[in-house]
Amino acid sequence: MALSPTLMLAGLERTLNALLARDPAAPSRLARMAGQRILLRLERPSLGLIVHFHPAGLDLMRADDTAEADVDAVVEADAETLGELLGGAAMERLMFQGKLAVRGRTHLLEATRDLLFDLDLDWEAELAGWLGDIPAHSLAEGLRSLSRWGLRTRQELCADVGEYVFEEARLLPGRHQLEALRDHLTEVEIATDRLEARLARLRRRLAEPETAP
Amino acid sequence: MSASDKHTTHFGYQDVPVEEKASRVADVFHSVAARYDVMNDLMSMGIHRLWKRLTIERSGVRPGHSVLDIAGGTGDLTAKFSRMVGPRGRVVLADINASMLRVGRDKLIDNGVNANVDYVQANAECLPFPDNSFDCITIAFGLRNVTDKEAALRSMTRVLKPGGRLLVLEFSKPNNPLFSKVYDEYSFRLLPKIGELVANDGDSYRYLAESIRMHPDQETLRTMMEEAGLERVEYTNLTGGVVALHRGIKL
Repeated sequence: MALSPTLMLAGLERTLNALLARDPAAPSRLARMAGQRILLRLERPSLGLIVHFHPAGLDLMRADDTAEADVDAVVEADAETLGELLGGAAMERLMFQGKLAVRGRTHLLEATRDLLFDLDLDWEAELAGWLGDIPAHSLAEGLRSLSRWGLRTRQELCADVGEYVFEEARLLPGRHQLEALRDHLTEVEIATDRLEARLARLRRRLAEPETAP
Repeated sequence: MSASDKHTTHFGYQDVPVEEKASRVADVFHSVAARYDVMNDLMSMGIHRLWKRLTIERSGVRPGHSVLDIAGGTGDLTAKFSRMVGPRGRVVLADINASMLRVGRDKLIDNGVNANVDYVQANAECLPFPDNSFDCITIAFGLRNVTDKEAALRSMTRVLKPGGRLLVLEFSKPNNPLFSKVYDEYSFRLLPKIGELVANDGDSYRYLAESIRMHPDQETLRTMMEEAGLERVEYTNLTGGVVALHRGIKL
């Protein structure tokens, strides 16, 4: 079907634009990038994608036969490298490793990464649009205290389990014990090395008497 | 072509005098203009957005280009082209029908699309533009309603710049016989019903279904485009051939 990639791109574009519309920092970033185009070429799977920025978001298009001169920046990568890049790996490192090729205005790529990954959604304002200010605020407060409680509980659980395993049930050695053990093992290792050297010397001496005067 | 063909042309399944077709098509669109977008979504179940999206992808339009959107109707393509050509480019929305053009202009202005768009009421058969003036011309679901399609294609080729592209998005012939049957049932029975219920105008939508059947199929249209002087003409069937996107380049 010729239309399924188009459908997927349309869905992706809509989602990204909806997210960008809720990010207070996006309009100023987009205004700087408006009118510019990035051509993204994946090697495996073979795929060309044009990202066109405009003040209200971005357009995604398949690039069937777009010349490189038509765009502001060309990015060539494979899917794995793209994953690394989106995961926050430094662009320079990937470029020096030869995994990523960028031509044209390279800063546009960094701006794109900032735009899409520094998304700071004002979801409380979004909730307020649906529920009204006060219910949204109390709901958001509730969610926040729930998440704080979750974090604290997780830390406490970890500490309790650690204490039980190391101190009470003694199923595993604690860190101090582990370090003492390692020191002892190092001493034993050194002692055996010395012993080995001494034995080697004795063996040499026993082999030598005939030659000695 | 026999002598009688010269004086009549098809209007759906009816034969009407050549000079009458334009005004009858105009009546159809005057009556549907207000609900055109809603009906498009309903009738195609939203797929028309994807068809148009693909047209835009294939157009290869970039910042600074000038684009002519013929029979642009309510401006779906124009809105996106306007963004793509940027402040240095230009988009002309042309339609033969004043009602459609008015609806389109209002919609575009409401959506903040204004700076680089011009509106022209024009007949596709004799476009009021100088030769070699556009990088891309699109006609989406409009060629079907033109009285003299050959003249329209020639006229579009004339105003296209060398290297420019003409994209024709139009209903066509489904290639699977079973699917074709389903499609016939849908367009002759269900479609006029929907038209009657939503737009209160069954006849216009009956005309729509009939005019689709009278429109040349993929290969015929391709030959017509080649005869008009376009080269490298190719087409893509969409949704099983219900719609085909033809693309030709003026060299």
